Amino acid sequence: MTGSRLTRWVVAVPMAALALATIYPLLFTTNVAMKTKRDYTLDRFSLTDSPRLDNLVKAWTSVGMSRYFLNSVVVVACSVALLLLLGSMAGFALGRLRFRGSSALFLGVLAALFVPFQVIMVPLARIMADSGLVDTYPGLVLAYVAQFLPFTIFLLASYYSTVPSEIVDAARIDGNTLYGVYWRIMLPIGAPALLSVGVLNALFCWNDVLISLLVMPSAEHRTLMVGVTSLRGQYSDDIPTFASGVLIAAVPVLVVYLFLQRQIADGVTAGSTKG
Amino acid sequence: MAAPSPSPTRVAAGVRPATRRTRVGSRAERLAPLVLVAPAVLVLVVLRLWPLLLGINFSFTGDGDRDGTAVGLDNYLTLFDDPLFRTALGNVGLLVLLLPVAVAIPGLLATFIYLKVPGHRLYRGVYFFPAVLSPVIVGAIFTLLLSYDGPLNTLLGGVGLGPVDWLGDPDVAIFAVVGVHVWATFGMALVVFLAGFATLDSSLLDAAKVDGASLPQTIRHVIVPGLSRTIQFVFVTTMIGMLTSMFGLLFVMTSGGPEGSTYLPEFYIWTQQGRMNRPALASAASTALFLIMLVVGLAQIALLRRAAGKED
Repeated sequence: MTGSRLTRWVVAVPMAALALATIYPLLFTTNVAMKTKRDYTLDRFSLTDSPRLDNLVKAWTSVGMSRYFLNSVVVVACSVALLLLLGSMAGFALGRLRFRGSSALFLGVLAALFVPFQVIMVPLARIMADSGLVDTYPGLVLAYVAQFLPFTIFLLASYYSTVPSEIVDAARIDGNTLYGVYWRIMLPIGAPALLSVGVLNALFCWNDVLISLLVMPSAEHRTLMVGVTSLRGQYSDDIPTFASGVLIAAVPVLVVYLFLQRQIADGVTAGSTKG
Repeated sequence: MAAPSPSPTRVAAGVRPATRRTRVGSRAERLAPLVLVAPAVLVLVVLRLWPLLLGINFSFTGDGDRDGTAVGLDNYLTLFDDPLFRTALGNVGLLVLLLPVAVAIPGLLATFIYLKVPGHRLYRGVYFFPAVLSPVIVGAIFTLLLSYDGPLNTLLGGVGLGPVDWLGDPDVAIFAVVGVHVWATFGMALVVFLAGFATLDSSLLDAAKVDGASLPQTIRHVIVPGLSRTIQFVFVTTMIGMLTSMFGLLFVMTSGGPEGSTYLPEFYIWTQQGRMNRPALASAASTALFLIMLVVGLAQIALLRRAAGKED
């Protein structure tokens, strides 16, 4: 059914071309970041004969990318930690324990999964403003936690529902309270799922621009992605510096992808086969 | 867990009669699951459920001078009179039309990878890569690639094709942005399809092979029915993605222009809230977007269910 050798190649050539088209834009950007302004104006494609890091240094120091970078790291780290804590507690309770109202609560979480941020962003901005959380780190962290918690709970609950109940029972007989079971058994057992959902949440928060723009708008508090959008206006005549800023924002994601690609894919596909 | 000396709770449990422990524990134990879910529920109620209700309520009140007063359906009337919002709705229609293409591309690619075309081991990792990049990064890179004097037009000029104003021509820009969105996200759907293939009964494929079925026949009679649930999932998530995760691209690449031609509801909401200071109108647009998503989502599920029913 895979057919003759000819059809195989008829398929293989466009696929290879597409793979190239997938990679090329980032390679192009990297090359531009290493060029001088003059080099770029003269020839966009040629590989620069003397790759220079000036632009990267400039973007990192004088353009403010280092500040934005730090803001993003702080917010993402806090958000992911809080998401994993709240998500694993709720995921364990909803996925593994039966209690009055548990299935109704789980349905509520599922329903929240289908309410996009755009639908609640206006009133959320007002709530944040009324409670003095606008333009603060805790405000943005809370906004991220609220946004990605339903997904986190859903994934962790379906993971914990596969943990045999004998494990819970055995730990209870050993004298553990439910809190003890959670802390000493469920957290370590959940490590693979926590890693997968943690990496995904880190990507979501790192890549977000809308929530950040809405909740933490001031120049001083800008996260990295908002910083990149502001570069575009400032450096429209200095493309190599602009490209350097883009590269700085992309490199952490690239590194995470190289090492944790499987975990990311696992998180993305969870739920697709259970339907 | 691996503490060298027995923990205090263990000692207590061992020494005291079991009855006392269970009775003392029972009330706290019954509450424990609730305590575990409480923080998450609190966050979700205050920062998701409450704003949802508040937003629907907002949409029936006024902006500016009429802040807080009930205005009935005024915002909705303004909304549907606004050419920008109409363009946004028209673009949603366009996305719905393009949806089958956006699903078919990763579906076909996943099929070829599953059937082990040369290089299949490499493609999954390569194709999936743009899906983890921020729309801001993708948008920034493509602003360079698609600019009027940029590389793509240079390339086209090399083979004698005239320069296209990808992001400056109102008839072209929305296709350029959607094209970039598909470039950036098809890997996501591809990975979901591949996970679906992993659950497919391979003996059916072998049978098709023995019967001498062609590739299109195999796709139609074996792969599509076998993956109906995955296809349904990809349709719905791709649609949600198109309606709710293109903000970053629009913000960086076109800002809704040229001539408002690339507006989508989510960008309209942001503009009314963030730039025009009209939160009530923005809330009406939010509610409209929510309804659109419900209708489109339910319609898709119904359509696909029926299609799947016919196949069975």
